[in-house]
Amino acid sequence: MIDAMSHTETAHLIRHGALEFDQARLFAPDATDPPDRTLPPDEAGWIVPLSTWLAGSQALRARTHPVALLIAPEDDPWTLRTDDAGTVDALGLAFIAVDFPAFTDGRGYSHAQVLRQHLGYTGELRAVGDVLIDTIFYMARCGFDSFAVKPGHDPEGALAALHSFSQRYQRGYSEVA
Amino acid sequence: MYTYDPIDQQIVNERVAQFADQTRRFLNNELSDDDFRPLRLQNGLYIQRHAPMLRVAIPYGMLASHQLRTLAHIARKWDRGYGHFSTRQNIQFNWPKLEDVPDILAELATVQMHAIQTSGNCIRNTTTDHFAGIAPDESINPLVWCEIIRQWSTLHPEFAFLPRKFKIAVSGASHDRAAVGVHDIGLQACEENGVIGFKVWVGGGMGRTPIVGKLIRPFVAWYDLLTYLQACLRVYNLHGRRDNKYKARIKILVKDLTPDVYREQVEAEWARIKDGPGKIDQAELDRISRQFVWPEYDAAITQIADPTDALAAQDVSFAHWLRRNVHAHKVPGYVAVTLSLKQTGVPPGDVTDTQMEAIADIADDFGFGELRVSHEQNLILADVARHRLHELWLKLKPLGLATANIGMLTNIIACPGGDFCALANAVSIPVAQAIQERFDDLDFVYEIGELDLNISGCINACGHHHVGHIGILGVDKAGEEWYQVTIGGRQSGGDDQAYDSRGELRAGGAAIGKIIGPSFARDDVPEVVEKLVRTYLAARDSDAERFVDVVSRIGLEPFKVGVYGESDNVRHKAPALQ
Repeated sequence: MIDAMSHTETAHLIRHGALEFDQARLFAPDATDPPDRTLPPDEAGWIVPLSTWLAGSQALRARTHPVALLIAPEDDPWTLRTDDAGTVDALGLAFIAVDFPAFTDGRGYSHAQVLRQHLGYTGELRAVGDVLIDTIFYMARCGFDSFAVKPGHDPEGALAALHSFSQRYQRGYSEVA
Repeated sequence: MYTYDPIDQQIVNERVAQFADQTRRFLNNELSDDDFRPLRLQNGLYIQRHAPMLRVAIPYGMLASHQLRTLAHIARKWDRGYGHFSTRQNIQFNWPKLEDVPDILAELATVQMHAIQTSGNCIRNTTTDHFAGIAPDESINPLVWCEIIRQWSTLHPEFAFLPRKFKIAVSGASHDRAAVGVHDIGLQACEENGVIGFKVWVGGGMGRTPIVGKLIRPFVAWYDLLTYLQACLRVYNLHGRRDNKYKARIKILVKDLTPDVYREQVEAEWARIKDGPGKIDQAELDRISRQFVWPEYDAAITQIADPTDALAAQDVSFAHWLRRNVHAHKVPGYVAVTLSLKQTGVPPGDVTDTQMEAIADIADDFGFGELRVSHEQNLILADVARHRLHELWLKLKPLGLATANIGMLTNIIACPGGDFCALANAVSIPVAQAIQERFDDLDFVYEIGELDLNISGCINACGHHHVGHIGILGVDKAGEEWYQVTIGGRQSGGDDQAYDSRGELRAGGAAIGKIIGPSFARDDVPEVVEKLVRTYLAARDSDAERFVDVVSRIGLEPFKVGVYGESDNVRHKAPALQ
C-alpha cells in the first residue's frame, strides 16, 4: 500500500540555507507485508522507513531515483552501520530523515548526533514532522542541514530562526552555517 | 561571584528576543497553546491557579545586591510587591501578566539574570552547597564547576527535550549540604592522585518514587566532566521512558536497566566522545575562572577588637541568634549569617520588595554585595566580619529577618502549595504557619534541637518532604485535603551515615523518610507533630541526640504508638509542653 503525504502549496523545506518546495513523501508499507517485498515505485521523492531500507537496501541502492530513509524516535541508527567501515554507507541513498512526531520528543537530536559523530554520515540530514521555528536552531546545531517546517509555521521565520543565537556554549556541537 | 562576559550577555539578550517573539506569535494565534506551553516553560513561565508564575534562575544560589534590587523593582512593578524563594535556589513571582513577561526578562537581562530552563523537561538550574567557597569543611570549591555546568547546560541543543526534568547538584565539602543523593545527577568533588574530579551519583530523586542515587562512577577527572555528563544524558535521552510522565525520570531508567547496565551504556558512549571537542581544556577552565570576582578579605581583621561574645553574654536573644544563624567560615575573622525567611506568620521563603532592598543595602554594607539563596529558602550573607555581628543583628531584627531558628523545627521548608500551585493537592503554607504557631515558644524549640520539617503540597515533592526529619505530604482523598506524615528522612548525614546497612556507599548519607501510618486532617497536623516531638523527647539519651538519630535508633514503632495512641505509657513519659 502506498500513502503519499499531501503536497503543500508553500515552499516550506529549508535546504542549503534556502526555501524549496518539498517533493518528498513518506512510503508507509502495510504492516502485514514482509518489508523486503513491498517497495515504492522507482520514482522521485520517496522516504522509506528504516526497516524497509534495511530489508531492501540492495535493490533500493540500485534505483534510478534514490530513496531517503526515515528514522523514527524508537529506531536505532546503529543498525545502519556497515560491518567493514563502521559507518553509514550512503551509496544510492538520497538523504536521511529523522522524524519528530512531537517536538517535545527529543530523541531525534541524539539520533542526529549519533549519525554525524559516530557513524560518519556526511550526507543530507533532514528533520521532518513537528519542526518548529522554535526548535530549528537546536536541530541545526545537532547536525541537521535540511528542515521540513511544520505547516502553520512561517517558513521565512524558520529560515531566520537558524540565526536565533549568534553565540553558543557547547563546543562539541556544530556552528550553524 | 561570576560576572558575565560579552558572550554570556549576548546569549541572554538573544533569548529575550526569542521569547518576546514567541509570546507575540502566541498572542496573535500564530503559535498554538500546545506548542507554546513547552516553550514558555523553558523560560520559567507557568500558568498557575491565579495568574502566570515566573521562576527566575539564581544560578547555584549566588545573588548580587544589585540583582536583588532589580528583583525588588520587578516585584513592585509587575507583581504584588513580593517574591518567593524556592527550594531550588530560585525566586518565583506569582502574579505577573503573560504579556509583561518579555519586558520582565529584558529587565532581568540588564543585571545578568534570566529564567532560562527554570522549568520544562530540560536541564534545570544547577544547585550547590549554600556555603560553597567559604565552608571550613570544604576541600574543593564547587562554584567554578557549577558555572561550567551552567554554561554547558544552557540552551543545550541535544538535551532541550528530555523525557523529564533533570537536576544536577554539586558538593565540594565533607558534609553534603547540596543533597547530591536526591538529584538526577549528584556530583561530589574530590581529588585523586592530585587531580580534581567528581564522584558521580545518578538516579536519585524525590517526587512520586523517592530513591537515593547510585554511584555510577567513583571518579571523573575535571577535564572529562562535561563529556561524562553528555554520555549520561544521551543514554537517558534515548532510552528514558516517554510513555508515562510518572516513570520518565532518570531514576526509573537506572532502576529498570539496573545501575550496572546503565553504567555500561554510559561508559560505552563516553569512550566515543571523551577525547572529542567537548573535553574541557585548561584554557577553557581559565576563561571561566577569570570571570569570578572573589571577596577581598581583610587579613588584618583579626586585629580588630571583637565585642560579639561579651554582647552575647548580656543578651540571651542575641546569643541564640549567634548559635543558630551564624556559621563558621574558612577565613579567620569572618562568619556566614543566615537571614531567616521563616518568621511565623510569613509564608516560608517569601520576601517583600522593601525587604529585598533593605537586604541589598545590608549585603553591600556587611557582605561584599553578595548573597546566597539556600535550598531551605533562606538568604545567606556569606562573608561577614565577625566583630560586626551585633551591629548586623540590630539591623536585621526590625526587618523580621533575625528569627533565630536555623536548623530548628520552625525553619520549615514548604512549597507554595494549593494556595498558588495548580498541581498541588493541598495547601502547605497554612500548615507551616499552624505548626509555627504551635511551637511559638523559642525556648521549647531550642530544647527540641535540630529538626528539619519539610512540607510538600503534592507528590512532586517541591517541599522536599521525603528528606525532612519530619515530612508532611498533602494528598487528595475524594476531593479532601489530607496529610501523610513521614519520619527519619534526611538530606545528608555525617561520615557515619555514608554507608547503608548493607555496606553500600550511598550518596552523602541521604535517606528517604518512612510513612508512620494513615494520614491526617489539616487541623490535626500540629498536634501530630507535637506528639512526635514528645515521643522523641521522652526517648532521647541526651539533648545531643537529635530527633532523626532517635528515629534511626528506636525505629518507627514508638512514634506510631505516640501518635496513634495505642499505648498511654509513651505519652506519660513525655514532658508537658510549656
